[in-house]
This record gives sequence, C-alpha cells and structure tokens, in this order.
Amino acid sequence: MSHSSATDKSQTSGRNNSNPSTRTSDMQVSTPDDAPLIVMTRTFEAPRDLVWEAFTDPRHVSKWYGGHGFQNPVCEMDVRPGGIWRHVMRTPDGMDFHIEYVFVEVVKPTKLVWQNADYGKRATNEPGRHPDNVMTVTLEELGPKLTKWTLVTRFNSVEERNSVLEIGFTEMIKQGSEKLNDLVKGLG
Amino acid sequence: MTPRISVDPLSSTLFALADPTRRGILAQLAKMGDATVNELAAPYEMSLAAVSKHLKVLESAGLISRGRDAQRRPCHLEGKPLQAVALWLEDYRQFWERSMDSLADYLVMMQREREQPLEPATPKKTRMPKRTSRARRRNGKDG
Repeated sequence: MSHSSATDKSQTSGRNNSNPSTRTSDMQVSTPDDAPLIVMTRTFEAPRDLVWEAFTDPRHVSKWYGGHGFQNPVCEMDVRPGGIWRHVMRTPDGMDFHIEYVFVEVVKPTKLVWQNADYGKRATNEPGRHPDNVMTVTLEELGPKLTKWTLVTRFNSVEERNSVLEIGFTEMIKQGSEKLNDLVKGLG
Repeated sequence: MTPRISVDPLSSTLFALADPTRRGILAQLAKMGDATVNELAAPYEMSLAAVSKHLKVLESAGLISRGRDAQRRPCHLEGKPLQAVALWLEDYRQFWERSMDSLADYLVMMQREREQPLEPATPKKTRMPKRTSRARRRNGKDG
C-alpha cells in the first residue's frame, strides 16, 4: 500500500477539509458502492511512454514518490511479474517508511499491477495494519501528449471491502459536515 | 509501509459503516446534532423498528450513544471510532494526490529536458519544439 506517513501528519495536514477544492482539483476519487475498490484518476500532459517511464524507472520514481518534500533514499524496482519493489520513503520531518511490494502484472506501457509483498500474510485485525490490497495503474492515451492515469485499489476480504466504504465518510467530512469535521479533528 | 495509526479491532465499526442507511444516519447526526429515532427515520421509507435496528448496530459499534431520557433517548454521534478509519483512507488519498502532483511537475521537467537539451552536444533531434509552451503553462501550477 503506500504512504500514510505517521500519525502527526495525518492529524494536521490530513484534515484540510476546510478548503477541499485547492488540492483536489486534479485527481478524481470514486468508491463504487458495490465493489471493494477505490478508483483514482488524473490526466497528465505528457506522452504515455513517458508517463510509463516515470512510473516504472526507479531513478524517476524516487524523484516524485510521496510528493514534494518527501525523499526516497531507497527505490529498487524489478519491474516484471514476481519482481520486488523495495522502497524507503522519508517524510519531510525525517521519518523513514519501509515498503515492499511485489509486481503482479506488467504490460508496458499500459498496465502495472502490484501488491504488498506480504500479501495474504497479514493479520488484518492487528491494530494499525493496512489491509491487503492490489493496485492497478492503467495508462490511457488520450492524445499524443495527454495520458489518463487510473489507479484502482482493490481490497479482498469482507473487512477490507467494508473499509473501502469509509471513504464515504471522508467525502462527507470533506463536503462540510462541519460538526463531524470538528469532532474528528478534536479527537486524537 | 507500517502506519502508526492505531486502528482498533475495526470489524464492528466497519460493519456498521458498510450500510448506506447507517452512514446516512451518522451524516444526519453530524449535521443536525443529537436527534431522536423519529427524526432520524424521517428521510427514510422504513419503519421505526428498522431504523431502531440500524441504531442498535451503530450503538454496539460505539459510533453513537443514546441519551438517558427514557422517552426520547436522543442519539449522539461518537467520533472516536470514525477517526481511525477516516484517517486511513484520507491518508491514502492524500498520498496519491501529493505524489501525482509531484509526478505531473516531474513530467513537465522531463519533457523540457528532452525537448531542449541543456548541452547542445546532441543536436540531432529536437522533437516537437512547439509543444513546450503547453508544458510551461502547466508548470505554473505547483504540485
């Protein structure tokens, strides 16, 4: 899975719902009610081959992964089915996160599928663990220099399926249920 | 990655939240504050008994509490169990949003470098030089 730096971050920058439009204009997020998915899309003004390269070459990935202010001191990607993606992401405040993924499917330059390397071996009820999931990126050529990126995150168990629906809540918070917003912000 | 977000045994929370009616009820409580079963049932075409059942699920998941007032037993939203789950996905979404903004900028840079190499050592192919204006405009937007 990814990211999610530590608690501090999620509680401060994690709640930017007072101004939801500033940073969400580019990426679309949807969560179908009837499927255990999170779907994110966005468009890049770049040729598809280049997006693929930027997405699958560790020399490039280490430059953008995590976002501005993040560093990636380790990024090793063996981009083929069964190949490992070993990664250390460093947050702006210096915390390191070790990530290990395994590639499941590689179809250059259109499709990349990966999942957590310990897929199926996690105790999902264990506090603080992310549920297993499979991430599929597809790149669609909309024009010579226009590429649509879609990330589908698929969860497997019932529990994970349900956890997907939480985003409904996130949406609600975002849409200005101020009270819930404050409530959530105040706790923690 | 191992998040430090401590997520309690989530199953009951997640089960409670998996139902759209129950999420709707929580949203109502968030919007209008404490409310009775009758008030909460108003927007739904279902019996009070059915709504009460949903409230029981929410209550046992710790997502709401019920007032003492025997007559009304107003429902009160409890934010704590929500927080953990909301953070998880909010975090996930934000991670990708940040990363993709960053990637967008990086792609602009890659294209610029390839279209206009800094060193004139490889003058062979200057591909599509006209197109850079678009990329530049794009770059004005930070990621």
